[in-house]
Amino acid sequence: MTVFDARSDAASAPPASPPVIMLADVMKSYAMGSEVVHAVRHVDLRVDRGEFVAIVGASGSGKSTLMSITGCLDFPTSGHYSLEGVNIRDLDDRALSRIRNTRIGFVFQGFNLIPRMSALQNVELPLVYGGIPHRERRQRAVAALTLVGLANRLDHWPNELSGGQQQRVAVARAIGTNPALILADEPTGALDTTSSLELMALFHELHAHGRTIVMITHEHDIAAFASRVVELRDGSIISDRRQEPTSVGA
Amino acid sequence: MFRLLDSVRMALRGIGSNWLRTLLTMLGVLIGVASVIVLLAIGTGSSQSIQNSIQSLGTNTLTVFSAGQFSSSGPQIRFNQLNAQSITLLSNRENAPDVKSVSPVISTSVTATNGTLTYTTSVIGSTPSYLAASNYTVSAGRAITSADVAAHAQVVDLGASAASGLFSVGSNPLGQQITLGNAQFTVVGLLAAKGSSGLSNADAVAIAPYTAVEDQLTGESTSFSELLIQGRSASTLSLAQGEVESILAAQNDTTVASLPFTVLNQASLISTATSSAKTFTTLLGWVAAVSLLVGAIGVMNIMLVTVTERTREIGIRKAIGARKLIVLFQFLVESVVISFLGGVIGAAAGIGVSHFTIAGVKPVLASYSVPLALGVALGVGVLAGIYPAYRAASLRPVDALRYE
Repeated sequence: MTVFDARSDAASAPPASPPVIMLADVMKSYAMGSEVVHAVRHVDLRVDRGEFVAIVGASGSGKSTLMSITGCLDFPTSGHYSLEGVNIRDLDDRALSRIRNTRIGFVFQGFNLIPRMSALQNVELPLVYGGIPHRERRQRAVAALTLVGLANRLDHWPNELSGGQQQRVAVARAIGTNPALILADEPTGALDTTSSLELMALFHELHAHGRTIVMITHEHDIAAFASRVVELRDGSIISDRRQEPTSVGA
Repeated sequence: MFRLLDSVRMALRGIGSNWLRTLLTMLGVLIGVASVIVLLAIGTGSSQSIQNSIQSLGTNTLTVFSAGQFSSSGPQIRFNQLNAQSITLLSNRENAPDVKSVSPVISTSVTATNGTLTYTTSVIGSTPSYLAASNYTVSAGRAITSADVAAHAQVVDLGASAASGLFSVGSNPLGQQITLGNAQFTVVGLLAAKGSSGLSNADAVAIAPYTAVEDQLTGESTSFSELLIQGRSASTLSLAQGEVESILAAQNDTTVASLPFTVLNQASLISTATSSAKTFTTLLGWVAAVSLLVGAIGVMNIMLVTVTERTREIGIRKAIGARKLIVLFQFLVESVVISFLGGVIGAAAGIGVSHFTIAGVKPVLASYSVPLALGVALGVGVLAGIYPAYRAASLRPVDALRYE
């Protein structure tokens, strides 16, 4: 499992390694007709390696926008964002794609698997884009699916899998590239309670192995599994506290 | 880096996901490419058959007709004649250096009989040079001779169709007597088949000395309705035409401009026919090109629909690291594969259809048409795919992911 154990990276990284996420005075505004809507206002946020952060807030609090910016899917209107010390604003499409491909692993609410590809092919896809040779990407994809407990579902199509299983394929896809950051947008939003708990157990395990996870959720009992909770309201951070995560065995 | 093979595999998966739609889209290009090939083959085939039929009339020949020239006032009629003197004048090497031979032509259609077998044939009364000028070769026996002409000999060379119509298989027509109209002629030679050429069957002929034909069938006359003149070469045929026209004008006390005869130049006939056949082929090619254009629009339409349908998938792909160029390439490859596959099947279908006779024309596959059609199919794929693929590549990932 060393491939997915981020601690080995952490151990070898220089002691003054930059924070995974560094947001400084980030603003995001949209023009809605004649009005300007500020979805994110003056957000400062630092996430260090190995943290498991839940970002909570009601709908419209700006957490999805913040997630798009953090995931390099969108740019802030103003302010500064660097991922592992790299300023995102300076990058072109090619470099941004490379960062999304190798440094970030996405887990979405709606699973977002590609329908006409098997579980294995879905997990392999980012590795294909990363130019990983065929044999190696097969090995890594199988290992990732084994880790999420789907070793016996490699050749199943997404529509042959339950919601919980599909989300675990998505997690396997996210960790297959060994990213610096796992970014989960309402990962339990489409899951029942049992599947949600299973997914949180998986996140807990990844966190225990040193993974950095940022999870957006509006459910406080899901946020309880994180070691740090950041609360957003009207685009601003209103609280940021560390906590003892709920144990998953419950 | 991301490799070509991976993206082709991905494109094929995309195509396979909706095979019925892919097939129907392909059909547009398929029909376009097939019609390009077939219509060009029809154009080429008809152009060749026109050329063949003109060429079978003879090699490097001029035909002088006097028919239809009797409208001028009465007393002049006697001058407006093609007669033995014309032949003598035209055969003069000094005055007409580019004329190789001059043959009078008297033709009439009669029913030929041999015992119980009858055959309607056209009897051509002429001189031995007619055979060479008209591309007839003797396959058995002998040609009519100048001696036959001088002796008014009732001998005949039979064309291949006439011979098979009058003689049963296995019998030897040489030396046999046949009846042409009311006269007995002896078959002295058989002509090799030239093949049917367009409207008239060049093998349904009986060629006899013109003196004998005048005696027995048409009645004696001082003039001929037609002269067949063979030039020395294709390049000097128009020189020969000039010589013929001025000699005939001098003989009839008139100018070349008001010459009471029609002189048909085979070379100019061919070039006219060829150029009109080219126009015809080009026209057919354009018709086919329009159907190919319709196919291209179909491909573009479906690619636009596909991009819209798969907006979310594009968002996912971008989120997990596909850059613009890769997304562009994926959809471009899809469109090119659809078009090119349609093109290949269409080319095969076109080649297949070109083996059949269509509307009386035996198509001849133009050598350039298959690579042309396949190249165009490839181009259609790129042109029809580039805009939809660009649209897909330009989607912002954050918008594409939210697309429902």
